[in-house]
Amino acid sequence: MTQHSTGTSITFDRATKTYPGAAAPALDALDLEVEAGELVCLVGPSGGGKTTALQLVNRLVDLTSGDIRIGDRSISDQSAIELRRTIGYAIQQSGLFPHYTVAHNIATVPTILGWDKERIRTRTAELLELVGLSPVETWLSRYPAQLSGGQQQRVGIARALAADPPVMLMDEPFGALDPITRVAVQDEFLAIHRAVGKTTLFVTHDIDEAIKMADRIAILKPGGKLAQFGTPSEVLSNPADDFVAEFLGSERGLKRLALTTVGEIVPGRSDRASAETAQWPDVEATMTLREALSVVSAARAEGAIVHKGGNRLGEVSLHDLIAPPVAVEDREGVRT
Amino acid sequence: MSDFAPAGDPVIPDYGQASDCVINNGAFCTDWFISQWSTVFWPPVLSHIVMVAIAVSIGFVIAFFAGLLAYRKKWLAGPIGMAATFLYTLPPLALFQLLVPFTGLSLLTVEIALVCFTLVIIFQAVLVGLSGVPDDVRRAATGMGLDRNQLLLKVELPLALPSIISGVRIATVLTVSIATIAAFVIDDGLGSPIIKAVSSPFNTQFVGAGALAVLLAFALDGLLVLLGRGLTPWTKVRN
Repeated sequence: MTQHSTGTSITFDRATKTYPGAAAPALDALDLEVEAGELVCLVGPSGGGKTTALQLVNRLVDLTSGDIRIGDRSISDQSAIELRRTIGYAIQQSGLFPHYTVAHNIATVPTILGWDKERIRTRTAELLELVGLSPVETWLSRYPAQLSGGQQQRVGIARALAADPPVMLMDEPFGALDPITRVAVQDEFLAIHRAVGKTTLFVTHDIDEAIKMADRIAILKPGGKLAQFGTPSEVLSNPADDFVAEFLGSERGLKRLALTTVGEIVPGRSDRASAETAQWPDVEATMTLREALSVVSAARAEGAIVHKGGNRLGEVSLHDLIAPPVAVEDREGVRT
Repeated sequence: MSDFAPAGDPVIPDYGQASDCVINNGAFCTDWFISQWSTVFWPPVLSHIVMVAIAVSIGFVIAFFAGLLAYRKKWLAGPIGMAATFLYTLPPLALFQLLVPFTGLSLLTVEIALVCFTLVIIFQAVLVGLSGVPDDVRRAATGMGLDRNQLLLKVELPLALPSIISGVRIATVLTVSIATIAAFVIDDGLGSPIIKAVSSPFNTQFVGAGALAVLLAFALDGLLVLLGRGLTPWTKVRN
């Protein structure tokens, strides 16, 4: 097994980018501290500078002014090429090399870094397992054209993780996937993120994706200014300004309910009369409050019965679902 | 078919001992073709192949590096493309005529002319192939830390291969054809038996050598297709 390096912080220090010939900056004095191991989503409308912010980190775009540090080292302290080899990079459409097999794609950076063949082989197999492509032997010698979009994206993530970089940059990695595949790959990536603890900067234009994935969300507004930076719960309950409120949409109250699962709020055995709950629908403990609310609404009931596996955990009323106790909103591991 | 001898001067080789077909100057006499294969046909086939191989190889090297240069320095693409197109538009016979005072009635004259005609095709194929590399692939490669040479050798050139190979195929077929005209300069290649058969109209030599030129073009094209398949295994995979 390869030792996983723990993540390293990323600090934007008044990072500014003005493209040649542009009157206004694409990214305007961004101050942002992404803590080690944290997953931060950069969201915002087109023209908000989120992709620019990401590409500044691996120097695909050069800073006009300000600085970005990975750990306590400025990105300008080393050559762009060396820097990029220490940063995992995954993009929309996966960017896989069509002429390389899956194994060859994943081995790209380790090969450049001069790893020996055995080490690369072990690492490749380990990564394919990690992204859920097993048995490994069936995938190694396939070309990207032989994979579905979701499989390509999984290989793209494995390739980005190959040299065990402390930092990952992901540029709308799931943007081209169909909704069902997208949810599956998001869940897998979250599990991977929890397992390997890479500091991850994740660009998306989809606020729901950000709410689902992020420890903290940075919302950028046109002109490349940071509108708000906080946990999904903070952002949804206290939008900093009208722009953020509008960007979150009129359903932000419901989106907030998507942050909590039914299992987190279900009280112990209640003493409700079984006559009352007889018509209540069943929900799984892993469902979000929002999903459970949908089930309850569809059944025209006053609450739901919560199950985990085959076991009945208890009941939640309609009131429990729409006004959950405050304490459970801040998810584990999230800084407030 | 016929058993009377033709009147007039004998213009047919081996008159008197030959088959009816030869005596009557039939469209294509298989017996004569076979009996003359090793003297009239095979040596020109070989020299034709050599002529084409030299021209396409040299043309490829020049056009390949010109294509790389134009890809790296975009402003050069226009001027190089125009120069190559100009060479391509010259009538082959006129170009031979133009070169003979300098390089004589030599293989060198022929090769210079043939190379000139391959350039624009291969140059464009290299440039189109390199420019056609998808942006997301290039961006991913750069973002992963490939330097410029690694990007070119590991990503851009391999992905440009299908286009480059199709350019070489067209250039090869064209050169097989133009090289028959080289017989006006040197007594070599499949043009030589064709020209001789035209001046003393004997059909079998004319048709045989012409057909060999066509077959040679097909054969070389087929070899390049196989080479291409071997070099680009990812292009034939399916889901």
